[in-house]
Amino acid sequence: MEIQTAEVANNPETEDTIESTKQNQPEEEVEHCYEQKQALEEEEEEDELRSMLLSDIGELPLSPPSATQVNFVSYFITDFTKPGHDQYIYRHANGLCVIGLAPTHVAFKDEGGITNIDFNVGKSDRSVLKVSGKRKKNAMRSESNTALCKVSTAKDSYIVRCCVKGSLLEVNERLINQPQLLNSSADREGYIAIIMPRPADWTKNKESLITLEEYKEKKELSL
Amino acid sequence: MSDETKPSAGDSSGLSNGLVSDSDRRVYQAAQSLHSSSVKDLLSLGVCERCVFRLVSVEPFDSDLSSVSASTLRSWLEEASAAAAASSESSCSRVCIVCLGVLQFVFSDAKQTLARSECGSDYAARVTELVKREGHEFDSFGLEVSVPSTVVENERAVLLYLKGKYETEGWVQSEKISVKDALKVLVLDPLKASLGAKSDSSSFHIRLTYSMTSDEVQDASETTHERKKRKTDEENGSTSMSENSFEKVYEPCILSVNCNKMPIFFSGRYFKYSRNVSQTRWIIDDERMGEASVEELIGGNILPACLGDSYKFHAAGREDIDVRMLGSGRPFLIEVQNSRKCPSQQSLMEIEEKINNSEKKLVGVKDLKFIGSQCWAMMREGEAEKQKQYAALVWIARPLEEKDINSISSLIELKILQKTPVRVLHRRSPLERERTIHWMKVEKIKGSSHYFLLHLCTQAGTYIKEFVHGDLGRTSPSMGSILGCRAEIIQLDVTDVKMGDS
Repeated sequence: MEIQTAEVANNPETEDTIESTKQNQPEEEVEHCYEQKQALEEEEEEDELRSMLLSDIGELPLSPPSATQVNFVSYFITDFTKPGHDQYIYRHANGLCVIGLAPTHVAFKDEGGITNIDFNVGKSDRSVLKVSGKRKKNAMRSESNTALCKVSTAKDSYIVRCCVKGSLLEVNERLINQPQLLNSSADREGYIAIIMPRPADWTKNKESLITLEEYKEKKELSL
Repeated sequence: MSDETKPSAGDSSGLSNGLVSDSDRRVYQAAQSLHSSSVKDLLSLGVCERCVFRLVSVEPFDSDLSSVSASTLRSWLEEASAAAAASSESSCSRVCIVCLGVLQFVFSDAKQTLARSECGSDYAARVTELVKREGHEFDSFGLEVSVPSTVVENERAVLLYLKGKYETEGWVQSEKISVKDALKVLVLDPLKASLGAKSDSSSFHIRLTYSMTSDEVQDASETTHERKKRKTDEENGSTSMSENSFEKVYEPCILSVNCNKMPIFFSGRYFKYSRNVSQTRWIIDDERMGEASVEELIGGNILPACLGDSYKFHAAGREDIDVRMLGSGRPFLIEVQNSRKCPSQQSLMEIEEKINNSEKKLVGVKDLKFIGSQCWAMMREGEAEKQKQYAALVWIARPLEEKDINSISSLIELKILQKTPVRVLHRRSPLERERTIHWMKVEKIKGSSHYFLLHLCTQAGTYIKEFVHGDLGRTSPSMGSILGCRAEIIQLDVTDVKMGDS
């Protein structure tokens, strides 16, 4: 059978046979020669790889856009239920929304900034829910005005809301021990939660949010 | 000569039928030995000659029956059972009420033309012609036959009828060969001869599918309830009822001949030189992501060389669309379904060259080779990706210092914890996984203090982009947390994929 003979001829094992005869080669010179040749080939390959890596590096901007800027579209909600309660909603292309405090949130204006965060608001502690599986079992269903957590400053405390109707996938537990992340990098390590809205809900939800441009315009005017 | 062979038969009709060969003689003798009144019954019910042999004989079903024409068989059976020689012409051309013509070598072809073969070799010649049209290269084949369920039901009914009527006879109790297997016995040798091939359980199969003509399919598609009811009736052994059901006149079945070659495999390693080519065809809402795919660029070149129906692409791991695959290349398998031919090593090298020298140079291939049809499981087991090497172009918010270079390269077998990245969290489980960064090496880029090339070797399954930018602090430690500043990944290349066996 033609196919079977071909199979024998190209059997991966034949490679092993070549390999072992190579190893059993008694003349050191031959081996040396082979090694040299291989080293040379490897060097060539290395050079080729190197040039491919470097040649692909184009114009390097002074400061490149951040992963957050590239991967997410920024939305904001201002004065949500109370004045100065400004939050961001970063929406990933896959539909997930990262929720956090906008730089103009009133809590940052208090001296010393935020000193504590408490996820035990409403009916349950948001940080205790353990979501599992691809289907996100046990996720809490959020409405846009559902309380997400409470942040406290030396002077006052403020309720942070979910802003988005969907499934609460996770809250940023690091904040419990390191609430100062809210002050230093609210838009990255200081994010508060990740919510997965249903596409239809999001379309409706979006209408209550403003874009980055609108946010800038609005806040610059009021500042 | 014929006198010698028929010591028992005094009459002359056997002589007039001219028993020229040994096989003729054997069949003639077999016909004489059959239980005569059941043969007479079955013939008058409209059971074909070969089915009569099949159902009444205690001897194993003989391939010799293939070479004797139906009309000759009938005359021998009629002679042996002393049945009235009914207008032989018409009764011979009537479609058997049990096998629906299968063992009479009668069938309709795809164009509804009736084909009738006198003997097995004529039939084999017709099948051979249909097989040749498919254009397969093969020197051995496996034969498969499938018949409509009606045939199986008919068989049940006629056996019940026989058992009811000839309960006490020994031959009734013996195991009967099915229509399917009988056809194989009849045509296998003639087929081997006309195809010039051996028969075995090979990787190439010829399938003879008999199906009912459309109007009879409707008949047969009675509700399960009805079928159950009839089944119980049959089991109650009402033979008179069975006899009634035999009166129907059937159409011959439609025969379709299909050839199928077991999948064959090719292995190799691929390179991806473009940040706009996906590994596999990627279509979202009718819109193609990227300008091409590795799968299609390689498979699309191999498939025509095999004259196959379709192909599947399997790779050891994957990279994102915007990540290039350089260096060692990534191992892959191409599985080709129903290939008509197997390309030579020479033509595989030509395919390799064609892909590698294509104008756009999106994808490259090396070590392309044929690996037979059984290697799939072996490859899977031995070749899980273990380690991967990358080159990442990294930007940091402050200038890179000499001491950073040392501190990065001093991190050996660094354990990191990665939460499922936000970018895939919508479709994967929310989990925290530990991964190992085996080593890292910094390569400075001339004229830039904020940018550097990070070479790193990691455990398979590590999310590299997230390791650099930290994914909102969800991967820890990250390049950013190690250097104490914001870090961003500009682009990424895979430079080596180390497999389990290398």
